[in-house]
Amino acid sequence: MVLTVDDLEDLYDNAPFAYVLMQPAGSIVAANATLSDWLGYARDALVGKRIHDLLTPSTRIFYETNVAPILHLQGAFENASLNLKTANGETVAVTAAASTRRDKADQTGLVRVALFKATERRRYEKGLIEAHKASQEAERATQRLLDAERETSVLREQFIAVLGHDLRNPLASINGGLRLLQKEPPEERRKLLLELLQASVVRMSVLIDNVLDFARGRLGAGIPLELKTGIWLAPILEQVTAELRIGSPDRTIETDFDLPRPIRCDPPRIGQLLSNLLGNAITHGSPERPVRVHADNDNARLTIWVANAGDPISPVAMEHLFQPFFRGQVRKSQQGLGLGLHIASEIAKAHGGTLDVTSTPEETRFTFIMPTGDG
Amino acid sequence: MWRYVEPAFRSGFRTVLYDQVGAGGSDLRAYDTEKYSRLDGYVDDLIELCGELGLHDAIFVGHSVSAMIGVLASLKAPGLFGKLILVGPSPRYIDDGEYVGGFSADQIQELLDFLGENQMGWAAAIAPAIMGNSDRPELGQELVDSFCRMDPEIAKQFAHVTFTSDNRDDLPKVDVPTVILQCSDDIIAPTCVGEYVHRHIAGSTLVQLAATGHCPNLSAPGEVIDVIRAHL
Repeated sequence: MVLTVDDLEDLYDNAPFAYVLMQPAGSIVAANATLSDWLGYARDALVGKRIHDLLTPSTRIFYETNVAPILHLQGAFENASLNLKTANGETVAVTAAASTRRDKADQTGLVRVALFKATERRRYEKGLIEAHKASQEAERATQRLLDAERETSVLREQFIAVLGHDLRNPLASINGGLRLLQKEPPEERRKLLLELLQASVVRMSVLIDNVLDFARGRLGAGIPLELKTGIWLAPILEQVTAELRIGSPDRTIETDFDLPRPIRCDPPRIGQLLSNLLGNAITHGSPERPVRVHADNDNARLTIWVANAGDPISPVAMEHLFQPFFRGQVRKSQQGLGLGLHIASEIAKAHGGTLDVTSTPEETRFTFIMPTGDG
Repeated sequence: MWRYVEPAFRSGFRTVLYDQVGAGGSDLRAYDTEKYSRLDGYVDDLIELCGELGLHDAIFVGHSVSAMIGVLASLKAPGLFGKLILVGPSPRYIDDGEYVGGFSADQIQELLDFLGENQMGWAAAIAPAIMGNSDRPELGQELVDSFCRMDPEIAKQFAHVTFTSDNRDDLPKVDVPTVILQCSDDIIAPTCVGEYVHRHIAGSTLVQLAATGHCPNLSAPGEVIDVIRAHL
């Protein structure tokens, strides 16, 4: 079939998209009936307007800064998202494409612009962007989980390695001690051996307690407390000190307790806290100088501090002191799990208190302070 | 942006062109959302770049928001520029009392929302479609590519920084000879804004271009070249 002029006119006027011919700078030369229908302007009224005038203010800026430069550079653009503004102020979302008429005969540089309704497409794009955002968020959450899992896995490995090493040491001393006892040594020697065996057992039991507490803490429960009221702390602290003295008979531990009133706390935990601090002071303090323990309570708070002489803690070590598995520079045989200070600080926190450290060439002092109310 | 203009000045001048960080051929790894949350981040880059090249008393030519970046750099680094040529500058796009910037705060907010919603529509979809559709072979793929390539998130922040900037107080401090090129029918920087800039930079020259739109350096390079040359 041969297309008549009427056919071609209809093809232009009633195309299922808006069709515009404009000057390169945007002045409309011709527009089809479809655009006139969409916007509610007579076709004559559209001629002479600038394409900018048909756009909402926001997409007008977008057109001028992002689309027009491309049209200048390339003579064409495709897939530009724009919003048209109708005569009565409604918005029509469109996708625009344009190409410049440029042949030898035509130097006007007129631009053909086709505008397709894009309401559904815009909704679809919005959905895609939201889905993209959601998937990014999910990915971040997975990454966080993975990081936490990795951290736990590293800790677990450290933990097993350290545990194997540190429980074996006291076990080896017990084994050696038992073998010596089998040879029925003299009374004096036997007494000494039994004391050493006892110390090794205490050390193992402390290690096991710490390990279990650490595992509980890591599982998110924190250090569990059994708070009791009316607790007189002095005998508990004396008992802990006595145990440590047995474990290190060649060391001097000076105590100074002023605990005139009962308080509310978890007594074995406070005992464990002091035990860990004392163990730390004995391991790291100067062997020639005494370790000093002080405790007092007034109406408002309980203070316990443990001080030792010896080299100060380095600033680097200070930062990691209360982290699990942190171990300072000591002889191998004296290494612990690196959990003692971590657990002591967790116990302090569980009591609503704090554990702080000061370290100078004269003295290193760990101070535990907790609020007591009136017990 | 300067492809049609810059070659005219190669004989007689040493020309330096650069892409703002985050745009074109710049190294996207250098983009820092904190640094570029204010125009000042771009100002520091310009000063650093000129320092690296050992430039003093140079002629600065900038378009749109880059024009303001040049203005701010001239204040922060006295002696760097001996002349400012500002094409379509605007110290503030949002109307404020007596001041007419061309847009209401709501309109700018709508634009920023539109950019957020349509990052796919124009950053991911437009750019590749356009690249394959050039009927001007003299524009290398590289140029179109670099013009269109902008990370959607960066584009969004850049638009935010640009359209919410207010540097009106800086204009009176400018003490470098300044030429303002004002387009006709520029919706981004209307004539009244160009006149405002002219009034507030003492001794500045305002040149009204016949060119329409916001990018005369692309749409009417000949006129831009002539005006710049006349004022060198």
